[in-house]
Amino acid sequence: MKFKIDPKLDLVLERHADVSPALVWKAWTKPEHLAKWFAPKPWTTAECEIDLRPGGQLKFVMRSPDGQLFPNVGCYLEVVTNERLVWTDALLPGYRPSPEPFFTATVLLEPDGKGGTNYTAIAMHRDEDGRKKHEAMGFHEGWGQVYTQMIEFIQSTKL
Amino acid sequence: MGQLSIDSTFRALADPTRRRVIEQLCLRPASMTELARPFDMALPSFSKHLGILEKSGLIRSTKVGRVRTYRLVPSKLESAEHWLTKQRSLWETRLDQLDAHLATMKEEEP
Repeated sequence: MKFKIDPKLDLVLERHADVSPALVWKAWTKPEHLAKWFAPKPWTTAECEIDLRPGGQLKFVMRSPDGQLFPNVGCYLEVVTNERLVWTDALLPGYRPSPEPFFTATVLLEPDGKGGTNYTAIAMHRDEDGRKKHEAMGFHEGWGQVYTQMIEFIQSTKL
Repeated sequence: MGQLSIDSTFRALADPTRRRVIEQLCLRPASMTELARPFDMALPSFSKHLGILEKSGLIRSTKVGRVRTYRLVPSKLESAEHWLTKQRSLWETRLDQLDAHLATMKEEEP
Protein backbone atom coordinates (compact mmCIF):
# COMPACT_ATOMS: atom_id res chain seq x y z
CA MET A 1 0.00 0.00 0.00
CA LYS A 2 1.21 3.49 -0.81
CA PHE A 3 0.73 6.32 1.64
CA LYS A 4 -0.83 9.58 0.68
CA ILE A 5 0.80 12.17 2.89
CA ASP A 6 -1.11 15.30 3.83
CA PRO A 7 1.49 17.87 4.97
CA LYS A 8 -1.09 19.64 7.15
CA LEU A 9 -1.89 16.51 9.15
CA ASP A 10 0.93 14.03 8.77
CA LEU A 11 4.54 13.60 9.77
CA VAL A 12 7.25 11.64 8.04
CA LEU A 13 10.47 11.05 9.94
CA GLU A 14 13.37 9.32 8.27
CA ARG A 15 16.22 7.98 10.33
CA HIS A 16 19.25 5.75 10.10
CA ALA A 17 20.32 3.31 12.80
CA ASP A 18 23.65 1.60 13.09
CA VAL A 19 22.03 -1.75 13.97
CA SER A 20 20.26 -4.51 12.06
CA PRO A 21 16.57 -4.30 11.06
CA ALA A 22 15.95 -7.24 13.42
CA LEU A 23 17.16 -5.19 16.39
CA VAL A 24 15.18 -2.09 15.38
CA TRP A 25 12.11 -4.32 14.98
CA LYS A 26 12.63 -5.70 18.47
CA ALA A 27 12.83 -2.17 19.91
CA TRP A 28 9.43 -1.35 18.36
CA THR A 29 7.63 -4.60 19.16
CA LYS A 30 8.78 -5.92 22.54
CA PRO A 31 7.02 -4.19 25.45
CA GLU A 32 10.14 -4.23 27.65
CA HIS A 33 12.00 -2.31 24.92
CA LEU A 34 9.21 0.04 23.80
CA ALA A 35 8.73 1.03 27.44
CA LYS A 36 12.34 2.25 27.55
CA TRP A 37 12.04 4.93 24.88
CA PHE A 38 8.50 5.56 23.60
CA ALA A 39 7.41 8.08 26.25
CA PRO A 40 9.13 11.43 25.57
CA LYS A 41 11.04 12.53 28.68
CA PRO A 42 10.15 13.83 31.22
CA TRP A 43 7.09 11.59 30.63
CA THR A 44 7.50 7.96 31.58
CA THR A 45 5.94 4.61 30.69
CA ALA A 46 3.47 3.36 33.28
CA GLU A 47 2.30 0.29 31.34
CA CYS A 48 2.94 -1.34 27.98
CA GLU A 49 1.14 -4.37 26.57
CA ILE A 50 1.62 -5.79 23.10
CA ASP A 51 -0.24 -8.55 21.26
CA LEU A 52 1.74 -8.55 18.02
CA ARG A 53 -0.68 -9.59 15.28
CA PRO A 54 -3.24 -7.79 13.11
CA GLY A 55 -6.14 -6.90 15.40
CA GLY A 56 -3.94 -7.46 18.45
CA GLN A 57 -3.73 -4.84 21.14
CA LEU A 58 -1.16 -2.14 21.69
CA LYS A 59 -1.74 -0.55 25.05
CA PHE A 60 0.61 2.20 26.14
CA VAL A 61 0.02 4.17 29.31
CA MET A 62 2.14 7.26 29.85
CA ARG A 63 2.69 9.06 33.13
CA SER A 64 2.98 12.86 33.00
CA PRO A 65 5.62 14.63 35.12
CA ASP A 66 2.91 15.51 37.65
CA GLY A 67 1.84 11.86 37.94
CA GLN A 68 -1.30 11.77 35.78
CA LEU A 69 -1.87 8.66 33.66
CA PHE A 70 -2.73 8.86 29.97
CA PRO A 71 -3.72 5.53 28.41
CA ASN A 72 -3.50 4.98 24.65
CA VAL A 73 -5.13 1.82 23.32
CA GLY A 74 -5.21 0.69 19.72
CA CYS A 75 -4.58 -2.29 17.53
CA TYR A 76 -2.06 -3.46 14.97
CA LEU A 77 -3.11 -3.46 11.33
CA GLU A 78 -0.03 -4.87 9.62
CA VAL A 79 2.78 -6.89 11.14
CA VAL A 80 5.53 -7.90 8.70
CA THR A 81 8.52 -8.99 10.77
CA ASN A 82 11.63 -6.77 10.33
CA GLU A 83 9.90 -4.78 7.57
CA ARG A 84 6.66 -3.04 8.33
CA LEU A 85 4.51 -2.27 11.33
CA VAL A 86 1.21 -0.38 11.17
CA TRP A 87 -1.07 0.41 14.08
CA THR A 88 -3.90 2.80 14.86
CA ASP A 89 -5.98 4.06 17.74
CA ALA A 90 -8.97 4.31 15.37
CA LEU A 91 -9.66 0.64 16.08
CA LEU A 92 -9.54 -1.05 19.44
CA PRO A 93 -8.21 -4.60 19.88
CA GLY A 94 -10.19 -7.05 17.73
CA TYR A 95 -10.91 -4.23 15.22
CA ARG A 96 -13.70 -2.72 17.34
CA PRO A 97 -14.26 0.92 16.25
CA SER A 98 -12.81 3.40 18.72
CA PRO A 99 -14.85 6.34 20.06
CA GLU A 100 -11.93 8.79 19.70
CA PRO A 101 -9.79 7.99 16.67
CA PHE A 102 -6.76 10.23 16.24
CA PHE A 103 -3.87 8.60 14.44
CA THR A 104 -2.38 5.79 12.41
CA ALA A 105 1.33 5.12 12.69
CA THR A 106 3.57 3.22 10.32
CA VAL A 107 7.17 2.13 10.68
CA LEU A 108 9.06 0.93 7.62
CA LEU A 109 12.44 -0.76 8.00
CA GLU A 110 15.00 -1.28 5.26
CA PRO A 111 18.51 -2.74 5.48
CA ASP A 112 21.09 -0.14 4.35
CA GLY A 113 23.31 -2.83 2.80
CA LYS A 114 26.06 -2.20 5.37
CA GLY A 115 24.54 -3.92 8.37
CA GLY A 116 22.51 -0.89 9.44
CA THR A 117 18.89 0.11 8.97
CA ASN A 118 17.09 2.99 7.32
CA TYR A 119 13.73 3.44 8.94
CA THR A 120 10.80 5.73 8.34
CA ALA A 121 8.14 6.59 10.88
CA ILE A 122 4.90 8.01 9.49
CA ALA A 123 2.23 9.46 11.75
CA MET A 124 -1.08 10.28 10.07
CA HIS A 125 -3.46 12.37 12.15
CA ARG A 126 -7.13 13.10 12.13
CA ASP A 127 -8.46 16.57 11.34
CA GLU A 128 -8.59 19.65 13.58
CA ASP A 129 -11.34 18.26 15.86
CA GLY A 130 -9.43 15.09 16.50
CA ARG A 131 -6.23 16.82 17.41
CA LYS A 132 -8.02 19.23 19.76
CA LYS A 133 -9.19 16.26 21.76
CA HIS A 134 -5.70 14.85 21.67
CA GLU A 135 -4.20 18.10 22.91
CA ALA A 136 -6.80 18.24 25.66
CA MET A 137 -5.36 14.93 26.83
CA GLY A 138 -2.15 16.79 27.54
CA PHE A 139 -0.20 14.95 24.89
CA HIS A 140 1.28 18.15 23.49
CA GLU A 141 3.26 18.61 26.70
CA GLY A 142 5.88 16.38 25.11
CA TRP A 143 8.25 19.26 24.73
CA GLY A 144 7.74 20.37 28.27
CA GLN A 145 8.43 23.86 29.41
CA VAL A 146 9.92 25.27 26.23
CA TYR A 147 6.70 26.11 24.45
CA THR A 148 5.16 27.76 27.47
CA GLN A 149 8.20 29.98 27.73
CA MET A 150 8.16 30.71 24.01
CA ILE A 151 4.51 31.68 24.06
CA GLU A 152 4.99 33.88 27.11
CA PHE A 153 7.93 35.49 25.40
CA ILE A 154 6.01 36.09 22.19
CA GLN A 155 3.10 37.60 24.05
CA SER A 156 5.30 39.88 26.12
CA THR A 157 7.23 41.23 23.14
CA LYS A 158 4.48 41.81 20.56
CA LEU A 159 5.93 44.62 18.47
CA MET B 1 5.17 30.94 5.37
CA GLY B 2 6.48 28.63 2.64
CA GLN B 3 7.18 24.92 2.99
CA LEU B 4 10.94 25.41 2.68
CA SER B 5 10.99 27.87 5.53
CA ILE B 6 8.95 25.54 7.77
CA ASP B 7 11.38 22.73 6.95
CA SER B 8 14.36 24.80 8.04
CA THR B 9 12.55 25.68 11.27
CA PHE B 10 11.95 21.99 11.97
CA ARG B 11 15.53 21.13 11.16
CA ALA B 12 16.80 23.91 13.37
CA LEU B 13 14.64 22.70 16.26
CA ALA B 14 15.45 19.02 15.77
CA ASP B 15 18.69 19.32 17.76
CA PRO B 16 18.78 19.33 21.59
CA THR B 17 21.58 21.94 21.80
CA ARG B 18 19.67 24.31 19.58
CA ARG B 19 16.47 23.77 21.57
CA ARG B 20 18.37 24.71 24.73
CA VAL B 21 19.62 27.88 23.02
CA ILE B 22 16.04 28.81 22.07
CA GLU B 23 15.00 28.11 25.64
CA GLN B 24 17.70 30.46 26.96
CA LEU B 25 16.83 33.15 24.44
CA CYS B 26 13.18 32.92 25.53
CA LEU B 27 14.33 34.51 28.77
CA ARG B 28 16.53 37.29 27.38
CA PRO B 29 18.92 38.17 24.53
CA ALA B 30 22.46 36.91 25.11
CA SER B 31 25.98 36.88 23.65
CA MET B 32 27.59 33.76 22.20
CA THR B 33 29.78 33.33 25.30
CA GLU B 34 26.74 33.47 27.58
CA LEU B 35 24.84 31.02 25.40
CA ALA B 36 27.76 28.59 25.15
CA ARG B 37 28.38 28.51 28.91
CA PRO B 38 26.06 25.55 29.82
CA PHE B 39 27.52 23.39 27.05
CA ASP B 40 30.67 21.35 27.04
CA MET B 41 31.47 22.23 23.46
CA ALA B 42 34.20 24.08 21.56
CA LEU B 43 33.16 27.56 20.46
CA PRO B 44 33.54 26.87 16.71
CA SER B 45 31.10 23.90 16.97
CA PHE B 46 28.75 25.95 19.09
CA SER B 47 28.91 28.80 16.62
CA LYS B 48 27.75 26.37 13.90
CA HIS B 49 24.57 25.72 15.90
CA LEU B 50 23.96 29.45 16.19
CA GLY B 51 24.54 29.75 12.45
CA ILE B 52 21.87 27.13 11.70
CA LEU B 53 19.41 28.85 14.02
CA GLU B 54 20.12 32.23 12.48
CA LYS B 55 19.79 30.89 8.94
CA SER B 56 16.41 29.38 9.83
CA GLY B 57 15.29 32.84 10.93
CA LEU B 58 14.47 31.70 14.48
CA ILE B 59 17.12 34.00 15.95
CA ARG B 60 18.84 37.20 14.82
CA SER B 61 22.13 38.75 15.90
CA THR B 62 23.42 42.31 16.09
CA LYS B 63 26.99 43.40 16.72
CA VAL B 64 27.79 46.31 19.00
CA GLY B 65 31.52 46.93 19.32
CA ARG B 66 33.07 43.50 19.74
CA VAL B 67 30.02 41.80 21.19
CA ARG B 68 27.46 40.01 19.05
CA THR B 69 24.09 39.68 20.75
CA TYR B 70 21.55 37.02 19.80
CA ARG B 71 17.79 37.38 20.21
CA LEU B 72 14.68 35.43 19.26
CA VAL B 73 12.53 36.35 16.28
CA PRO B 74 9.04 35.98 17.80
CA SER B 75 7.08 35.86 14.51
CA LYS B 76 9.07 32.82 13.47
CA LEU B 77 8.22 31.03 16.68
CA GLU B 78 4.52 31.67 16.26
CA SER B 79 4.47 29.43 13.21
CA ALA B 80 6.57 26.88 15.06
CA GLU B 81 3.89 26.85 17.71
CA HIS B 82 1.53 25.02 15.34
CA TRP B 83 0.24 21.72 16.75
CA LEU B 84 1.95 19.61 14.10
CA THR B 85 5.30 21.07 15.18
CA LYS B 86 4.56 19.82 18.67
CA GLN B 87 3.81 16.38 17.27
CA ARG B 88 7.04 16.49 15.30
CA SER B 89 9.00 17.56 18.32
CA LEU B 90 7.43 14.69 20.27
CA TRP B 91 8.44 12.18 17.60
CA GLU B 92 11.95 13.64 17.25
CA THR B 93 12.42 13.30 21.01
CA ARG B 94 11.02 9.77 20.89
CA LEU B 95 13.30 8.68 18.03
CA ASP B 96 16.35 10.28 19.73
CA GLN B 97 15.51 8.09 22.71
CA LEU B 98 15.13 5.09 20.38
CA ASP B 99 18.61 5.78 18.94
CA ALA B 100 20.06 5.80 22.43
CA HIS B 101 18.18 2.63 23.36
CA LEU B 102 19.32 0.83 20.18
CA ALA B 103 22.92 1.59 21.12
CA THR B 104 22.32 -0.09 24.50
CA MET B 105 20.66 -3.09 22.83
CA LYS B 106 23.59 -3.44 20.45
CA GLU B 107 26.01 -3.65 23.36
CA GLU B 108 23.90 -6.26 25.10
CA GLU B 109 23.32 -8.49 22.07
CA PRO B 110 25.48 -7.49 19.12
